[in-house]
Amino acid sequence: MYFILEGFRKGAVLIFGLNSEVLAILKLSLFVSIAATFVAVCIGVPLGSVIAIKKFPLKKIIIALINTGMGLPPVVVGLFVVLFLSRNGPFGFLQWLYTPKGMVLAQVIIATPLITGLSLAAVQSVEPKFYRQILALGATTRQSICVLLKEIRLSVLAAVIAGFGSIISEVGAVMMVGGNIKGQTRVLTTATVLETNMGNFDVAIALGLVLLTMSFIVNLALTFIQQHKVRPNG
Amino acid sequence: MVKISNLNLEYSKRFSLSVDNLVIEEGKIFTIIGPNGAGKTTLLNVIAMFDRPQGGRVEVFGRDVSDGKNSLSFRRQMSFVFSQPYLLNKTVYENVLLPLRLRGFADGKRAEEMLDLFKITHLRNDNAALLSQGERHRVTLARAFVSNPKLLLLDEPFSSLDRRYKESLIGDLRGIIRSNRITAIFVTQDHAEALSLADSMAVMKDGKILQQGRPQDIFTKPASKEAADFVGVETIVEGVITKKEENLCFIKAADNILEAVSIYNAGDDVFACIRPEDVVISRHSETTSARNHFKARIVKIEPWGLEYKLNLNCGFDLTASVTKQSIEGLGLKTGQDIFASFKATAIHLIKREGG
Repeated sequence: MYFILEGFRKGAVLIFGLNSEVLAILKLSLFVSIAATFVAVCIGVPLGSVIAIKKFPLKKIIIALINTGMGLPPVVVGLFVVLFLSRNGPFGFLQWLYTPKGMVLAQVIIATPLITGLSLAAVQSVEPKFYRQILALGATTRQSICVLLKEIRLSVLAAVIAGFGSIISEVGAVMMVGGNIKGQTRVLTTATVLETNMGNFDVAIALGLVLLTMSFIVNLALTFIQQHKVRPNG
Repeated sequence: MVKISNLNLEYSKRFSLSVDNLVIEEGKIFTIIGPNGAGKTTLLNVIAMFDRPQGGRVEVFGRDVSDGKNSLSFRRQMSFVFSQPYLLNKTVYENVLLPLRLRGFADGKRAEEMLDLFKITHLRNDNAALLSQGERHRVTLARAFVSNPKLLLLDEPFSSLDRRYKESLIGDLRGIIRSNRITAIFVTQDHAEALSLADSMAVMKDGKILQQGRPQDIFTKPASKEAADFVGVETIVEGVITKKEENLCFIKAADNILEAVSIYNAGDDVFACIRPEDVVISRHSETTSARNHFKARIVKIEPWGLEYKLNLNCGFDLTASVTKQSIEGLGLKTGQDIFASFKATAIHLIKREGG
């Protein structure tokens, strides 16, 4: 029990002492997570909306594939991203393996189906006539999707929050694709795993606390946006 | 002008829309009445290019819209008001302005004019989601008119409103449509709504137009038993014309002879339609000019809107409408024997095919 408490104490010292290594890891974690969330949102929200609205062949199968993708095992994603980005892989020429770009790519692959699936469900939960009404007012397809997404922004931001949550807490894929290289691709999750394995519990606890705090602040910001001008009940 | 010819849409195995010929004049209010599932809304969806027919032609202001092409430019010339008022979670003003924003010119002055026209200026800054149902309907109508549409499609927009509010809104709407000379297609199940707005009218059932014409003709001279059923003809009696003297037909119905003015001939199988308001009730047999006079027994008395409905048995089932004062004045009770009369001109005959 003592070593756990000691770990918390040392962790606090590391955080409030603004340890440069911890700060660098924090900075990279934020960059990778936010960049990946941004890209996944840009792909997932419009894609989910269009799939929800449009009628096309094999729609149910595509939705089933997206739903399957919502539970993609990160290590499997990591494995395939490594294979594709490795020197002999089809995208080896990009030289993204063991770089933050490769880590962002892996996390985009993990978060996109999740955001797509949740956006799709959110749009489908709106009565079809509502969408028709917007079109009848003279909207283009793009305008109508924008109007619709603004109306269901609570659900869309819930999808963004879920996507960010899946990315910030992910360790398997970033470990495999990034390699956990000190000063280059080490992020909070991989660093926590490493320090725990080395028995440096104080540093691991400090990193864990930083990860939790960072996740809380980003989610708090998203929640404030989500709950802004929420329609009162009654 | 809206012209529909040979329209065919197989919606599902159980329902298809089939309209041979329908013409809606420019600047007029055309009302489509019919029961649930008649295909009224589907027809509006075809006109609005939401549903694409498998065959036929739908011409709106000289342009065929059945091909599904250039739907945006067409929809920007029309407005479609749904039965449910779908509004954004924004202020009333923002909702009314939306069609103009979508067209790229957010003319606030025009939106303000619409708020004024539909008497909702005082709600301008209120959240539309928090309005009463009646207020929400006024907002949807203001939003429908803000883009100055040439064609207005109204799909049972008053179905969820109480009678008083409905009458006030219909009165306002009628004036606005007429003064702007907008071509409007109004779908409803409510006869009073239909009559108060329509310049011309059609009755639909099972995806087909049963009859179209002037409202008074449809309500007094329905062309088929189904149309008669829907337009409130309570008494429809099967019979055969046994004799004709000039225009007066003698119709054998059950064990009775009805006398009606009609163009049909002896030997024709017909339905005799009698509206409840055309039946006169008396306690004693009286000599009047009415050609049809029967002894009848009151089977049931029930409230019917502002009046009462008497179900009578006079050899055939006959329905009459009377006021509360008449029931009290004549002391009418269930099981009582009375006399029912109606004129020969009050009977509308529909020829029965394959009698």
